[in-house]
This record gives sequence, structure tokens and C-alpha cells, in this order.
Amino acid sequence: MNPEHCVIIGNGPAANEAALTLRGESRDLRITVIGQEPVRHYKAYLLPEYVSGKLAEDDLYVNPPADHRERDIKLRLGQKVETVSFDTREIILDHKEVVRFDSLIVAVGGIPRIPERLQVFSDLFLALKTLADARIWKQKLKDAETILMVGGDLTSLSFTKALLAMGKRVIFMINEDSFWPLRFDDEIRSQVTERLTAKGVEVLNRRTIKGLAGISENEVEIETDAEKLSVNAVGAFFGLVPNVKFLARSGLHIDRGILVDDYLRTRFAGVYAAGDCAQVYHPELRDYWVSIGYKNAWNLGKIAALNLIGGKIRAQAVAQSIFRVGGIAVNTSWWTEF
Amino acid sequence: MTVEVCGMAGDGTIAAGGLINEAMSLGGFSVLGFDSYPAEIRGFGRCVTRSRIGSEEIVALADRTQVLISLDDEQSISRVPFLVDNGGVIFDNNPSGYREETKSLAAKLEPGISLFGMPLGDLATGASGTVRGRNLTALGAFTAIFGVPPDLFRKAISDKFTSKGKAVLEANLKSFNAGLRYAEEKFKDRATPVFDVRNKLGSGKRVMLSGNQAIAKAALDAGLKLYFGYPITPATPIMEYLAKQLPQRGGRVMQMEDEISSIGAVLGSYYAGARAMTATSGPGFALMTELITHGVMAEIPAVILNAQRGGPSTGLPTKTEQSDLHAAVFGGPGDSGRIVIAPTNVEECYAMTVKSFQLAEKYQTPVIVLTDFYLDNRVENLASPAASSEEKADWNMYPHDSTRGKYWRYASTESGISPRALPGTEGFIYTATGLEHTERGTPDYSPENHMMMSAKRYRKIMGALADLPSPVEFSSGRELEVGVIGWGSTFGSVLEAVNTAAERGLRVGALKITSIFPFHADVIRSFMNRCGHVLIPELNYSGQLANLIGHLHNKDVIRLNMVTGVPFSPSTILFEIENLVGAGT
Amino acid sequence: MTCKNLVTNEQPSTEKRAGGVVYSADPADFAYARVNIPCQEACPAYTDIPAYIRCAYERRYGRSYEINRSVNLFPGVLGRICSRPCESKCRHGERELGDPVGICHIKRAASDFKGPGRIHGETIASSPGKTVCVIGAGPAGLAAAHDLSTIGFDVTVLEAFDEPGGMLRYGIPEFRLPRNVLKQEIDTILRFGVKLRTGIRVGTDVAMEELLFRFDAVLVAAGCYVSRKLDVPGENLPGVSSGLAFVVDANARRAPVIGDDVLVIGAGFSAFDCARSALRLGARNVSLCIRATEEDLRVTEDEIFETKREGITIRSLVVSRRILGNGKVEGVEFLRTGPGDRLPNGRRHITPIEGSEFVIPADSVIVAIGQGAEPIPSPGETDRRGVLTADPGTFRTSVRQLYAAGDFMTGPTTVIESIAAGRRAAEQIARDLTGKRFREWAIRIEEARLTDRERSWDFIPRVEMPAVLPVQDRLHPPDRQVEIGFSDEEAFEEAKRCYLCYLHYEIDIDRCIYCRYCIDVAPRDCIKLVQEVVTDEQGAITGFVETNEWGRVSAVAIDNSRCIRCGACVRVCPMDCISVSKVQKVERLLHPWGDT
Repeated sequence: MNPEHCVIIGNGPAANEAALTLRGESRDLRITVIGQEPVRHYKAYLLPEYVSGKLAEDDLYVNPPADHRERDIKLRLGQKVETVSFDTREIILDHKEVVRFDSLIVAVGGIPRIPERLQVFSDLFLALKTLADARIWKQKLKDAETILMVGGDLTSLSFTKALLAMGKRVIFMINEDSFWPLRFDDEIRSQVTERLTAKGVEVLNRRTIKGLAGISENEVEIETDAEKLSVNAVGAFFGLVPNVKFLARSGLHIDRGILVDDYLRTRFAGVYAAGDCAQVYHPELRDYWVSIGYKNAWNLGKIAALNLIGGKIRAQAVAQSIFRVGGIAVNTSWWTEF
Repeated sequence: MTVEVCGMAGDGTIAAGGLINEAMSLGGFSVLGFDSYPAEIRGFGRCVTRSRIGSEEIVALADRTQVLISLDDEQSISRVPFLVDNGGVIFDNNPSGYREETKSLAAKLEPGISLFGMPLGDLATGASGTVRGRNLTALGAFTAIFGVPPDLFRKAISDKFTSKGKAVLEANLKSFNAGLRYAEEKFKDRATPVFDVRNKLGSGKRVMLSGNQAIAKAALDAGLKLYFGYPITPATPIMEYLAKQLPQRGGRVMQMEDEISSIGAVLGSYYAGARAMTATSGPGFALMTELITHGVMAEIPAVILNAQRGGPSTGLPTKTEQSDLHAAVFGGPGDSGRIVIAPTNVEECYAMTVKSFQLAEKYQTPVIVLTDFYLDNRVENLASPAASSEEKADWNMYPHDSTRGKYWRYASTESGISPRALPGTEGFIYTATGLEHTERGTPDYSPENHMMMSAKRYRKIMGALADLPSPVEFSSGRELEVGVIGWGSTFGSVLEAVNTAAERGLRVGALKITSIFPFHADVIRSFMNRCGHVLIPELNYSGQLANLIGHLHNKDVIRLNMVTGVPFSPSTILFEIENLVGAGT
Repeated sequence: MTCKNLVTNEQPSTEKRAGGVVYSADPADFAYARVNIPCQEACPAYTDIPAYIRCAYERRYGRSYEINRSVNLFPGVLGRICSRPCESKCRHGERELGDPVGICHIKRAASDFKGPGRIHGETIASSPGKTVCVIGAGPAGLAAAHDLSTIGFDVTVLEAFDEPGGMLRYGIPEFRLPRNVLKQEIDTILRFGVKLRTGIRVGTDVAMEELLFRFDAVLVAAGCYVSRKLDVPGENLPGVSSGLAFVVDANARRAPVIGDDVLVIGAGFSAFDCARSALRLGARNVSLCIRATEEDLRVTEDEIFETKREGITIRSLVVSRRILGNGKVEGVEFLRTGPGDRLPNGRRHITPIEGSEFVIPADSVIVAIGQGAEPIPSPGETDRRGVLTADPGTFRTSVRQLYAAGDFMTGPTTVIESIAAGRRAAEQIARDLTGKRFREWAIRIEEARLTDRERSWDFIPRVEMPAVLPVQDRLHPPDRQVEIGFSDEEAFEEAKRCYLCYLHYEIDIDRCIYCRYCIDVAPRDCIKLVQEVVTDEQGAITGFVETNEWGRVSAVAIDNSRCIRCGACVRVCPMDCISVSKVQKVERLLHPWGDT
């Protein structure tokens, strides 16, 4: 008698916590975690400190290597899901393997967003989402002195902090488009500008980028409607967009992320979504929201797992505290620390 | 590092493994390679090539593999347990069909393994028009991922395919380059282990040779005139090689109707004065034993190569074993002591084969050279072997002219060696017979004569100890907790195990025995006496060398017997050593 | 050459022509074409796509254009604005094979490069002495007019607007479809003796009854020019306009008034045209408000990307409830929606979420949620809105000489569907008036050879359409064509990508020795060891029963529905028993002088 197979797509905080929770509650369930990056689960929010050298690579990892093995969780790293067929309950991996599942948690997180207007320059932008990105930054920062940060998401602020600690010169171009699903109103904008300037960062507000050109390996020229800049590297920090393109036309309801109800259920039985890739309607906000931040994802992963095996836990819209800059809560730690 | 290529018959697996060996040898590394083939001739069955590559001399295969190149994922699943935890797998990520999880290679890999998936088939087709080049595409990828200089492979590919025509060579180079370029781009951001190419062994021309090739080459270099044989796995390649080369040097190869006539013809040739040899395996050797003892009785030289394989009887033709020692030393009617030697690596295969002709001549006896499937088929790179004129010299002891007309062929001498005239030499006619005979050579069954002749023949054989290589010791000091004695191809694994144990601080030593009979009893005994335990690992069930020399030790030797059909892994021996170290007396 | 029926090995109902070409009417062959040339099947007009792409590759752009034009009278137009149902079915776009071929872009390239003064070949019939009036000079009407005039009918087209083209002229903005391209193609159609009268509205300027008296047949192809209303409070506030009125004014260069913050409500091509036009008329912030999700949009991905690139925001999962404002529009109140299942018509059912009201401020609102046909006073049965009804298969209304086709009959569809409908209606009218059939579809089969296509071409990435950049340059001048069009080199590269699915590879089982070399070199699961071939009652192959056991294998078969026409099997076969043929669905003129 084959045990039921639960597959978790993703290897970030939501996926990892979901896997551990499932195993904690059920000994028989066959659990497979499929992660696209060829590395174990690590804390991506610590990447800025890894780039600056404050932390070593080993400090980023969460579980010791043997952990998943001991818990009988099959961990498949460096493997990508190409598509999911919900009527046959099959996952197709991009090396043409078919994995059958009985239940599924999609926790693929987000990928760095580049606004359409700027996508033609995406070769010249560097993001900081993965360990591979961080390694590229480390290499680049050996020679780069002046960095232009464009955007204004959570990571950009902690990365700016790290760059300043490395003694780099930082120019910050705030782009109001970067905070989805947050709203970047004038109050936040002026507070951010004030704090950045206080730390020695040159802040540029309300600019339209007209062009970027790569002059050499270590030099990029940017033209805005107000000035021309020459810097050594350009960082793109426009926030994350759920990494769900691979599920297009699969039958799941996808808007920006995977649409789920309060219990993180998708329209298909036994299929859940958690973390940065899940989109839920939030009655208080009167809008859909997608969680951001490690802790929220961790939490949602846990909830999805518990609900999958019969729980009935509502996903709290914990993120609401982010919207109040004045209210200090754990989810705004990046803000208070900065 | 060990690199494996695994595929289905027809995928070009063996060719790929061969190219890896060649390329890395060109790069100055020490290489040891061993392939396993399917039993059937075409179409089905798994092929695995294993290449162990290092900057220091490689003496044995490793247990585990660092890199697996998969040309057929379903077959490669069987190789997964041998991968090291942080190994790498190169595979085709766009196969022609979809695969279930249960049949998928990627599904079986542990998370620490680095996956390098590329569309090998598509790249090959795109580059050269055919999917058959994908083994070369995979090699291109290997080159890029592990930092091997690509020109090493390009040279190896040229060397191999130039004779097949320009179109084939170009297609293969294109396939290789396509894999190289793709992998360079796709995996450039991966943290991958870079094979350290700076530490190379010294220069000096190194060639890749298998045991069989070394033996065949040695025979040629030693002036072999005639080869008689019957095909049998794993000795057949020797005959095939000589069939091409020997006629060009004025010699002849003749395939006989069976092994009995083969050995008969060898004895006939050598009797008449021409260097001759035959090569066979266990079942064929058994057929030869009566005539071998004829050679012993009639004191006729012969060189017989026994390439051991799994037994008894037809046994396991494509598996390795060391279970013919008894047959080689004792096989055949009567007390028929003869010389038995066993090389331990490819270089010794060469040297000892050359030597065997001289030994056969001087001691007027069949000389049996024992190898095994693993040693015969594995390739190593070594300095191009050659035999000096002294090493090739005629060691026959001819009679003094003064004995003309009164020549006694089997005259008893102090050494036991009676000068041997070649038939047809005027004044030196004699009778050679397999019946017991007088010193003149005429048949005689009297009790004193048989006692005397038996003693003479034994005296003669024991005298060969002077010309036979003495056991060689590899140890960390005088007093040893454990001493390991190995022979044949097992010795390589013994040596690696002992070296590893010594690095860990244990007082251990290894003794290499290449002269199986006669054996240097004093040397062996003196080694044994310095050991707390004596361990004799052998690829046979009964412990045949242990049976032969075990009595030299003042207590029981520890036997380690495996008949798995695969070579000893150093870690198995190491495990035993470590157990013994703790075990006290 | 006797051509065995490709499927059942029986003699088909075919004609044999000189030169080894066979025309088949066998339903099994039609079924084959349906499955194996998916692009052609998906095209409402059944454009012979592989053929025209091959001509483009051979740089015979004129011929490529003609192949298009034989079923689609506006290749230059459709090459820019078509909804491309073919590309979503293109075999090259199958999951592991990559992106579909840029079929539409190549069509445009053929139009762009065909050379000026290109001679068009047309078959003209002598007049059967009948007259037809076509109401509406949109794509359906002009297509019908063209076909009827080449058959020899005396055709008059009545158009209510000042210029011909219908939605092509008044609905689609110039930055997507330059006027001169449209004009040239309309002029070519009219040159065959079609009389065009503009500025005439039937029902107002002339009565239907009079037309029915004067002409032998009347075809109503008047399109859909009534905007659907939201039916929400505030819809009549100043600043709120219908999408149709907006684009018609914009395209007639009557510069409609537009504010700074524009909300466009709607999700079709019209809505997108409105949004991008609004930007070009000076709006600062433009948002498209759609009820479902972006995934549900039926516009092309290129269109969505360019729209976003121009800075237009798409707000999804919102439905409008009230338009707010005092004396003029100031904002729109929306409810959030949750997506439901897909309805039979392809749209997604949405559920408004109670209690989710919120307001987006705006000073202009454009409602582009669809159009309907406007009733024309006329005899004949009508629907409950008063619009003439017609039979979808024959286009006949309840009145003997009166026909209806295109969007007027079906409701809004796409341009290519309208063109196809207009042509079918013309065929029907011609048959009704003369008793003869003029054109029919057949499967053309010809022996062929391996082409010069190389396998490496299958890995060429899809060539992107160059567009005007930076985005700011698109607004000055605002009617500047955004998509620049492929260069000759780009068209050549993209044309290489087409597998040429009109090729058919078949193993002769009498000569096959089952060596399976073909399976070894096959790039995917396209060659199979089969136990049985499954066919339907018409003889078309519907499936294969595969087997791994040698004892049960009855044939090595090429599954053409999986085949990517790489030719590796043909090249490797030691028995040379794999034949190559060309199988095309073509339209033929039936009249004695109409020989192909």
C-alpha cells in the first residue's frame, strides 16, 4: 500500500517549514521537496550581510545537511518544475520526469521584478534574491565603488546598509512602483529619504529612467530626465513578483500570485499555496495581498501544512502591520533596525 | 577523482571512457581505468566505464565516484549508490520521452549531488547532425564543468578518429565543442569543483595500456616467434593483437582446435628452439595440465599465460577472480613443480612477460604467468615500456662442445639445470620423453632413478629463486601490528589500504609477492614474524596463497576471501586492518 | 504513381493529376490535416501557413503574400493586428519544444517586402449577370465583395462611414495599423470592379426594400457599432465615453477630450486600443480595469507587454459598481472579484466580493466592454433586440435574397473570423444565385523530398519583434507605428523555425526491417513500436497501441502528430523505406476555367 505523496514545490522558508511541520504531524506521509536552487534552504534575508562579508556562507543555512534525510523528507535540489497537470495530479520536471502527487503545496516564492518599461535593460540590472546573485555581487564589489540602487523594497534598505558598511558610495533612486503590495505614499517616501540621507546616501526622487548603457565590465551610464550618472553597478530592487508563470494555463486561478482562500486552499482539493507566491483577499484591506518577508512565509508554510492534514487554521493577515509605519511590530523589523 | 560513464550498449559509453583515459593521461595525470560490458553482443545491456585519475600514482580503483556521466538514465540509476555525497552528475535533460519518478535518475540522487542537466542529444544533433555524438557532447560538458583544458580532449579525439576520416572527426569535434560551449555558459555561475590541473606527474611519454596489451607487447618485444592458442575470455585480446603484429615481424599465430593442441604446439616450438607462448583462462588451463607436466618431465620450456576468471568450470567468464593458483602450482599429474609468477599491475605484466621467456629457457620448464580479468582489461598509463637487449637475451644454457658425442641431456648437475642442445644439432641427439628417464633421456622406472630425477628437477626449480623477483615490502617500520600480503591485481588495493592506514598512524605494512612458485620462504617468514597479525586478502574462496605460505607463520594467518567477481576495494581491506589493530593478539 | 491512401491503404476518392499530384476529398485525409497542420486548422480562414512561411524563407515574398491573400484578403493588415489563433496551436510551441513560430510577424514581413507594383494573379470569371449589394465595407463585407466580384458578379458596397475599412479603419489605432497599408489592400480589392459608395447608411439614406428590389442579393455585413453599457449609476456623467466612440473619434482624427487620470473598463482588443490611444492623446495615468485576471485576457502577449511597457497599469479582479462625480466624473467605485470557473463561451465567471468597495479616482472613464449590432430596418426575422437573424451555416435570413455575415450576425469576433465568414457567405450567395459551386477545399498530396532544413534550426530562439524604443519616442508623433517589423534577415531566421508541418513522413511497412535505427535517432517519442493502429469510422488514425514485446510488434510507425519533421529517420534508414510527401489543405476553383 503506497503512502500518500505530498510534494512541496520550493525550498524557501514557507516550503521548509511546511515540510518539517508535515513530518512532525505525520510519519507515514511521503514528502518530497523540490527546490530550483542547487543549495539547501538558507535565510535569504541575510544575503546582504553575506555579501558584505559579515557572515560566512555556512551561517546562512538553516538545517544541517543530514536533517532532511533523518526525517525521511526527500530533498531534490537544483531541479525545476516545468508545469503541473492538476487533472492527472502530475508534476512535470524540466528534465522530462513525471512525479505523481496526492497533495501539493506550492511555495515557490517570488522573483525580482523589473518593470516592463525597464525590461529592455535587464542585462544591466543586478538583483539580490538568491545565493547565486550574492556570489555575483561579491565578485562585482571587489572592484565596484559606486553603486546605484533603483527601487526601494525591503531588501534594498538592508543591502544599502551592508554596502555602506563596506565603505561603498550609494546613490538611491526611489521608485514608487517598488513596494507592491505595499503602498508607497508620500509619508513613507519622505521618511525613507530622510533616513537614507542621514546615513550618507544620495537620494534621487521622482526620476524617470530614460536609458542605461554598459560602458565596460565595471561601468554603467544611466540617463534620467534630470541627470546623467556613471556608476560601477546598478542594483534592481523593485520588489518581488510571485514566480508563478510556470503555472499559467494549468487551471489554477492565477492573478499576480496563486489565488487562495483564507485557509491557503487553491481551487483544487489537496493543493495549497503558501508564502510569497500566494495571493489572498484581505477584507480589512479590501484588496488582495501577498505576504512579504521571511517570517510571514514561514508562518504561512506552517499553516498550509497543518491545513493540508486536516487543520482549519485561517491565515492571519499578519502583514497588516506593515502598512502602518508608525506601529512597530516584528514584521517591520527591517524598518526599525534601519 | 573517479569518473564514470554509464550507458546502454550502443551509446558510445566505452569510447567516451577511453577518451577520458587518453585525455587525462595526455594531461600528465596517473590514470587507471576499468570498464564493464554487457554479456550479450549487441543491443542490450549496461556499459560502465570507470576512470580513476590522480596526480599521484593510482594503484587501485576507488569505492566511490566523484562524477557520473549518464548516457542512459535508467541504467545509471544502478551507479547512484557509488556516488560520493558531493559528487556531480551530467545527464541529458531533454530525453526523447518522459520518465516516471520511479525510473528517473534525478529522483534517486541525494541533495548534496550537483546536477548538470543539458540537452545532450539536441546539442549533438544540432552540432553534427546526429544524436550519436552525444557521448562527446557529454565529454565537452565534463571538460567545462571541471576545468580540464579542452585541448587534451581534442587531441585525444583526433588521435582516435583521424583514421575514420575527416567527416567523422569533424562531426565528433563539433559535438564535443557544442557541449563545451553550452556548459561553459550555463554553469558559469555554479560553484563547482575545479579539478586541479596544476599538479601533474612528471613528463615522460605515458601511454595507456591494458594488461593484455602489455603482455602482448612484451611477448613481441621479447622476440616471440610463434603463438598458438584458442580464444577464451579474458585472454582472447592477446591473440588478436599478436595476430595483427606478429606476422609483420616474421612470426606466426595459429588458432588451434583446442587448448590441448595449443600447449602441445608451444612445447613443440620451444623444444625446437623458437620462443612460443599460449594464453588461456581457467577452463583452458585445466585442459593443458597434462602436457604442462610433460614439459616439466621432459624439461621443455614454455610460456603459458593464465588469465584467471570466475570459476570453477565455465564459471563467470566476465568476472574477475584469483582462483587458479592451486591449479597453476599443483595442477597436473605427479610432483610437477614449475615456475609460477603473478604480476600485480600493467607495468609488471610487461616486465614479467618478457622475463618469463628467459626463465622458461634457463630453467627448462613451463612458466605460468597468472593474471586476472581485472588486470587484463584495466588500463593504466605508464612510461612506454621497452625491453633492453639483456632482458631479451637468450638464456638457454647450451652444452659445452666437449660433450659432443657423449651428450647426456638430463645430466644431473649441482644446480639441477642440464645443458640443453637444440634438436638437430650434430652430435647432440637425445630423446625427450614424458616417461621417467635416465640422465641420457631413455625411459627408466627404477626406484633410485626416479628419486634422483625428482630431486634434480626440484633442485632446478628451487634454484630459480635466484632469478625470481623477491617479495617487496612497503611498510612504516620494523614491528608491525598488521602485515598484509597480496598477490596479483589484489596487491594494488592492499597497497592503497596500507598507505591509508599508515597515514592514520597505524603501524602496518604490505608485502608484494610476485613469485608464487617457488616462493621466497625466508623473506616471507621474516616479514610475518614482525607482524602482530598477518592478513591475506584474496579473490578466491579457499585462500589459495594462504594455503601455500600460511604455514610459514607461527600462528594462523587471517584470511580475507571475496568471490564477488569484482576487484577488492581498498576500503574493505582497510576495514579489516583496523579491526585487527584493535583486536589484540 | 498510385497514391495509396495515407491511412487505410485503400484507393481514395481522389483525382490524379499530371506530375504526381493528387487531390483528395477523403474525410480521413481531412482529419489528418486537422491534426497535423494545427496552425492551418486553427486559422478561421485556413491559411496555408507552412507554404507561405517556406516561400518567405526562400525570399519569395510576393508569392508568400499571395498564398496569404488567396484566403485572407488583408495580409498586411492581419500581419499586424491578427489575434493569432494559429500561434497558440503551433507545434513548435508545444511544451518541450520552445516557443511558437512568429507566424504573424512573417506574414507582415511578406507584405512589407513583396515589392511595390507586385502583380497579383487573380482568376476572373465572366459575368453570370447577377448583382449583389454588400452593406458594410469592413473586413467581412470587403472579403465577400472581393470574392463575388472575381466570380463575376456586379458588386456594390454601401458604407455608412466616410471611408471603407470598418473597424480596421475606425476601431484600430494608427500606431498599430498604418493607414497606407490598409488603403493599399482595400484599393486592391476594389480594383476588381467593386463599386464603393461611402457615407450611405441603409435604413436612413436608402431602404432595405429598395436594395432587395434592385439587387439579386443583399449581404448585410454591417458589423457591431453599438456599445454595450455598464448599466451602473453615473454612466452618463461628462467624461465617461464608450470605447467605440472614443476610438472612432481618435481614428477619425477628431481628438476626443481626455483627462489626466484615465480608467479604461474592459479587457478586449478595443479596451487596449483605447488605453494606448488615451496615452497618446496626453493622458498621464492610464489604467485598464478588468474583471478577471491577466491570464484570462484574450489579447496577444505582445500586446499586453507593450501596453505595460508604455506605462499602463492593469488592475485585475475588479468590477465597477458606480461612477462617481459631481457634474463630471471624479472616480469609479469598484468591488474586488474572485475568479470562478470558465464558462462555455470561454470567459471566466467572476464573483464580486461583498464589502470590498473601494474607489479609484479618475477624470476620464472609457467603457470598452463590448459591442453589439445595430438593428437596421428591414424585412425578415429578428432577435429580441431587433437585429436580423441568419443561419450560421448558410448565412441566409428568413428573406430569400437577404443574407447576413460577420460580426453583424454573430456578435463581435476577430478580424480573421470576419474575413473567413465574408468569403463563405460569398460562396453561398454565388451558389444560391447560379446553382453552381465555385470553390471547394481539398487535400493536395504530392511526393516530396527532404528539405534543406537542418535540425539546428529547431533551436533558434523566437525572433522578437523590434519595437520603437525608448517608449517616450512612441508618443511623438502619436500615430507612429510601434512595431517596426522584421528585417529581411530576421524574417529569414524566423522562417527557418517552422517545421513545415505539411510534410508527411511514412514508413513502408513492407520494406521495414525493424532495425529501429529511426527510433534511436528520433528527437522525441514520435516513432513507435506499435501493436495496432487505431482508426475511426472514417479511416483517420486516432491513436496507436504501443508495445515493448517483440512478439506483438506489428509495425514501426511514425506518429505524425508528434513528428517535428526533422528528417533524421529518413536520413538514417538503411532500407530507404521512409517516404516524404507534402500534404496541404488547399482551396480550389471548381469552374472549368478555374484550374490550379
